[in-house]
Amino acid sequence: MTVYSPVISRHCQAGQFVHVRIGDSFNPFLRRPLSIGPCDGDYLRLIFTVKGIGTKILSEKQPGDMIDLIGPLGKPFYLPDEKSCPVLIGGGIGVVPLLTLDDHIKKAVFLLGVQSKTSLTVDESEINQRGISIASDDGSIGFNGNVVQLFEKTLQQWSGTEKQKIIVYACGPMPMMIALKSVCAKFSIKAYLSLEAPMACGVGACQSCVVRKAKAEGYYLVCQDGPVFDAQDVELQP
Amino acid sequence: MNVDTKVIMGDLVLRTPLLTGSGTFGYGNEYNTLVDYSKLGGIITKSISLEPRNGNPPPRICETRAGGIINSIGLANVGVDAFLNQKVEALPIGKTEVFISVVGDSVEDYTSVVEKLETIEDIAGYELNISCPNVKSGGLSLGGDKEAVAAITKAVRSMTHRFVSVKLTPHYAVIAPVAEAAVKAGADALTLTNTLVGMAIDAECRKSLLGNVTGGYSGPPLKPVSLAKVWQASQVVDIPIWASGGMVNGIDCIEFMLAGASALQLGSVLFADPTAPERILVEMTEYCERHNVERFSNLIGSLEIQ
Repeated sequence: MTVYSPVISRHCQAGQFVHVRIGDSFNPFLRRPLSIGPCDGDYLRLIFTVKGIGTKILSEKQPGDMIDLIGPLGKPFYLPDEKSCPVLIGGGIGVVPLLTLDDHIKKAVFLLGVQSKTSLTVDESEINQRGISIASDDGSIGFNGNVVQLFEKTLQQWSGTEKQKIIVYACGPMPMMIALKSVCAKFSIKAYLSLEAPMACGVGACQSCVVRKAKAEGYYLVCQDGPVFDAQDVELQP
Repeated sequence: MNVDTKVIMGDLVLRTPLLTGSGTFGYGNEYNTLVDYSKLGGIITKSISLEPRNGNPPPRICETRAGGIINSIGLANVGVDAFLNQKVEALPIGKTEVFISVVGDSVEDYTSVVEKLETIEDIAGYELNISCPNVKSGGLSLGGDKEAVAAITKAVRSMTHRFVSVKLTPHYAVIAPVAEAAVKAGADALTLTNTLVGMAIDAECRKSLLGNVTGGYSGPPLKPVSLAKVWQASQVVDIPIWASGGMVNGIDCIEFMLAGASALQLGSVLFADPTAPERILVEMTEYCERHNVERFSNLIGSLEIQ
């Protein structure tokens, strides 16, 4: 979905999100947090898969319909410096904020995991244009396996010194994030994870969207302290 | 017609009857850029406890197919000392009336928190969240007992001249005895009601949708329940009632005033529509114009029984 919103498109940074109202009916009641996809001038792209009633209603919007967004919200990705080697790792629809990040980074390694060729979350033309390497669970396209396994395979081609320059930027399903965090910890690789959580207000008022702190008691708010976190700071739970 | 939106409760004058429900409006400033404070009579902060509370494990919020939402935040808050040090400065004092919600596990908890909060200048008062705590004496569970409500209210009343509203659970089968007990103990208003205990399950995954399994059910489905409690209480008490329960539009709010409410707390609706105060005020004004009602306050308790 392409949305005309000059204020959001011109002020947002990669990794931020918009809080989208589904309709006027209050059922479904809550807004849906969606990553901001690549922006083009006054327009931004919202890319989502239909999972439930909320996203189904959103998917039925017609050209010219108005849509109520709050944003840009949350903290963006920290951009890498020139010396580092950014690796973007997306799982399924989690690829969206990484597409936006890719627009701001030169020469990123970009990996995307999907279930199969029929469930690609990025057009094949865009995959080619961005040089995205695909991993599929059923082997129907690209690497036969999951995207974390593809990342481990990619790592083997890098020397120890090169590995130290890697910064991972990732967004995807929780099992992928947990596996990825573990691999990054093993090789002492810095990783930034974009997380999601059931959310109500989106602005830090309701304290619904929490993720447990790794180094202290208590919780971070995904909407306000995130959605992007240093992997070392959060305790991920399946 | 210029409709007078203000409501007066003793010394307290609210420029509109619209308040924000505790727990939905954070510490009062998170919605700064989204909410028009001039449309609000006041804000009520999230509940402040003596010690910090981390809150419940996630997930903490879900929707239900019947409408509405269930939350299990678990009264997460920074505790009264950090509230005083970090949050008071950002309260919208001067923009609207500010009420601080207080929660505790014992009478002493409530009085200790209020004692500290009394040092803040220019707040309008307190809302005592005695809707779901466990009191040391074994008193107040969700069914609630009037002795605990009376004890907490009386203790806080004795230490402040500020406005005190007592927030009650909708779980009382009969609200009159506890409402009367709160009035007798010195409450200036009753807030009716808190959320209903609810639960939601994802059958496909065989999992509860909330980390805490059960939570507080709010949103439009709560409205008929709260409306009944407001009506029932209004028949037996003569202090103002602050209604809370699933209002999403101006007509919902009008209905609560007809049933006896003097003020209206917007809660869950703010999650969906942070501009609700502005919209609802317009809708209420339009209703009054249509029905030749000059003042919002003329609506209070004016329900005609068939």
